[in-house]
Amino acid sequence: MAFAPSGPEASFFEVLDQHRASLLATLRRGGGEPAGGGTRLASSSEVLASIENIIQDVITSLARNEAPAFTIDNRSSWENIKFEDSVGLHMISHCTTRKIKSDSPKSVKNFALILKILSTIYKLVQSNTYATKRDIYYTDSQLFGNQTVVDNIINDISCMLKVPRRSLHILSTSKGLIAGNLRYIEEDGTKVNCTCATAVPVSSNIQGIRNLITDAKFLLIVEKDATFQRLLDDNFCNKMSPCIMVTGKGVPDLNTRLLVKKLWDTFHIPVFSLVDADPHGIEIMCIYKYGSMAMSFEAHNLTVPAIRWLGLLPSDIKRLNIPKSTLIPMTKRDQMKLDSILKRPYVTCQPFWRKEMEIMGDSKMKAEIQALTFLSSDYLSRVYLPNKLKFGGWI
Amino acid sequence: MHGNRPYKLILKYLIIHWKCETAEVSKGALLEGQLVISIEALNSKHQANTLHCVTTIASAGSIYGGLVLKKFLKEIQSILHGFSAKLNWTSEEASYSQDTSGVTPFQMIFEVDEKPKTLMTDCLIIKNFLHKIIIVLPKIRFNFSVKVNGIFSMEIFEAENEPTLNLSNGIALVVNYQHYVSAPKFGTTELLCSRIHPVLGHPVVLFIPDDVAGMGLLGELILTPAAALCPCPKVFSNQLNRISSISIFLYGPLGLPLILPSQEQPTAAIFKDTSYFIDWKKYHLCVVPNLDLNLDGDLVLPDVSYQVESSEGDQSQNMDPQGQTLLLFLFVDFHSRFPVQQMELWGVQTLLTTHLSAIFMESHSAVQDSIQITVGQVLEHHHQAVKAHQKLQASLSVAVNSIMSIMTGSTSSSFRKICLQTLQATDTQEFRTKLHKSFHETTQHRFLHHCSCEVKQQLLPERDDAEQSTEDAHENSSLELLAGTSGQVGNKRLKGSSLHQGVEETRAFRSAGALSPSEAARRRAEATVSPLTPSRSRTGPGSGLEDALWLQEVSNLSEWLSPGPRP
Repeated sequence: MAFAPSGPEASFFEVLDQHRASLLATLRRGGGEPAGGGTRLASSSEVLASIENIIQDVITSLARNEAPAFTIDNRSSWENIKFEDSVGLHMISHCTTRKIKSDSPKSVKNFALILKILSTIYKLVQSNTYATKRDIYYTDSQLFGNQTVVDNIINDISCMLKVPRRSLHILSTSKGLIAGNLRYIEEDGTKVNCTCATAVPVSSNIQGIRNLITDAKFLLIVEKDATFQRLLDDNFCNKMSPCIMVTGKGVPDLNTRLLVKKLWDTFHIPVFSLVDADPHGIEIMCIYKYGSMAMSFEAHNLTVPAIRWLGLLPSDIKRLNIPKSTLIPMTKRDQMKLDSILKRPYVTCQPFWRKEMEIMGDSKMKAEIQALTFLSSDYLSRVYLPNKLKFGGWI
Repeated sequence: MHGNRPYKLILKYLIIHWKCETAEVSKGALLEGQLVISIEALNSKHQANTLHCVTTIASAGSIYGGLVLKKFLKEIQSILHGFSAKLNWTSEEASYSQDTSGVTPFQMIFEVDEKPKTLMTDCLIIKNFLHKIIIVLPKIRFNFSVKVNGIFSMEIFEAENEPTLNLSNGIALVVNYQHYVSAPKFGTTELLCSRIHPVLGHPVVLFIPDDVAGMGLLGELILTPAAALCPCPKVFSNQLNRISSISIFLYGPLGLPLILPSQEQPTAAIFKDTSYFIDWKKYHLCVVPNLDLNLDGDLVLPDVSYQVESSEGDQSQNMDPQGQTLLLFLFVDFHSRFPVQQMELWGVQTLLTTHLSAIFMESHSAVQDSIQITVGQVLEHHHQAVKAHQKLQASLSVAVNSIMSIMTGSTSSSFRKICLQTLQATDTQEFRTKLHKSFHETTQHRFLHHCSCEVKQQLLPERDDAEQSTEDAHENSSLELLAGTSGQVGNKRLKGSSLHQGVEETRAFRSAGALSPSEAARRRAEATVSPLTPSRSRTGPGSGLEDALWLQEVSNLSEWLSPGPRP
């Protein structure tokens, strides 16, 4: 396909192409993508039948004069999560559970709210309409209390029924942006071209996207919207064409993660992350790469273990002589987060990452990507990233 | 002298004497024994429309050992000065016989002429008086019989085997609700706890006004309030409960009812003033005196009664028209570091009867504070129970509506059929009703299981050790709360046990395992308490521990009210 040919010459991408070949070889050795565990797409009738089964169980309990209860997997318990290099963090098959009882003062309200949201989902699926989590919250905000309650119950239902949120006809609001050498068609037939000067919002129906087309040599995940916009302003996508860049504007939403996963699954192009040299940035990068505890039950659909850390590396700070005045002392919270990340199971198989984190910990200083602007205003897009990409400066 | 008054005075005197005689032997133990009171009335031969009444008061059993008859007769006659009736003591030879234990039964007879209506009223007053005694002296049994022109009726007043809350100084409060309110109108299945759960307040010293202080008492008067809602609010009906009435019971030393002066006397003013003891507006209660008390009933009549009227802001749905009664017991005890003589106790009784209002007014602030705090605790528990109940009902309503939404919206006829069949409903309306009822029953069952009122507390499967140990800690602190704080009483020179210490003694008594095997066996065997009248009884443990556990359960109700953990 033809895109505006404004990128570097082909030799620029030699290392990238080698990296890609290495990734493909690894995939072939590993037998392809790991078998999808956890959730699977379910048809509407399957979802309706699952909900009806749950209701029948509740009524049967009542008929036996027993208080009905839901058995929910402990999604956010480390004891139920294991790490696999090829998948990231995901739930074990026989995990511990907890009961949401109808006759317990502590849980009767949650029990009722689960039924409430199940009935909402039932109606959505039946009528083939969709709603976001926020929409559901606003159907009775006083009853739910806050959005977090709704979010958690929806995740619990998704985990309980073993279907992704999409199959429940609940959309998550997308906040991510994408730009670069990419075209696709949405489920409703809308054609999307991401080569515009301004970025395109990440679709809220990733599973419905089809006809993905790209020549991109790499996908760059950018932590912050400010950095993303800066790169857009610097015309980075054209200068480094063909490439794609995406941002989740901080902690990524589900759709942004689904899109990154979809692009990897479809094209197997190298994926790099550009985050601040601070614990928060590293954690965001880990979410894309290995997944989160909260969504570990959907890990197979969300994680891209092949992601590499491009920058800003803590070792870059010294290497580039970034002025100390641009650095920020780490807070106690930063230190605690860093210590927590270092203890996570996936860090053990990433010795270079560990080393970078130790450099950060020892210096007790952190740096934002914007620190590079002290070298020159377009240092990031003109020097730093091109050099990193050309010479394999990722870990 | 009014017809019924002599009976009360004589009975009081006998009980005081009895207590003093037994004090050295078993201090703090409940008085046990039986008194028989019989009135035989025949038409007077000398006056028209008048009955000649012969009253016999006799002991049955071993209670009046040591009663010096002549001294007693002299003292009784001085107490009953102005009493124009003929008062006889059965002759020494005829009245008693020495049994092998060396104790002496006694019998006294007096005769009065009364109008039939007066006799009827007096009988009702006496019955109420006896009822009032047994609810704090549950091991005393009264046989009260009346024979009028050959027509005989008898009633037994006893509460020996009913659940009680041991106070101290030989008194214990019977906590069976049926003494205080009639059974709720919406069916016995709705009321699953037959006890009240009194909260003891802080004791306060009552100062005696100077103009009545000339009695030369060598001790102090201590007021200890106790309050409870009746019936038990925790497992009450499906409807919200409001406070509809307030009943105040006044007791003097040894658990003897204080006889109030008549309503016309100025000294009764403090009881007419509804805000004298408690600022009811603080609890959004609009209280008016209730002068319409029905003597002819099974309930023990309060000394002071108020009605609670609906306030303007009380527009909640499902308010129970019957409502709950707030019971307030005011126990005035006498403490001295010297051995208390019988006549001194009698003098205290008289002082309290004649100058109660003045004594309360002298210590108004302290009295009001103590009562206010006690009532506040009870009402706060009630409020929490109501809120928790509301929260439960709201949640169950959401659950039912959600299930109905799915069931009625389903296009799967097999699913709908199975739902209806499972609950044995013929249509969706019936299904909804049964669904709601089923949820209600399963959750109520859990509340009952949790309720320490009727069932001994059991560990539930999901509780872990940490939670249980936390509850144990709460239980201990609740017991201390229930027992009051010994530091609150201003004057520490208390010879005997105060009311609050009595509860601690009970606890110590329990923990020392001092139950007799038979008593322990009876207590273990108790599953539910179902006495309906004072004369019917079942074993009931002194419930200091149970009430502390109930207080813990009520505090657990705060779980309903606090945000729950994320699912």
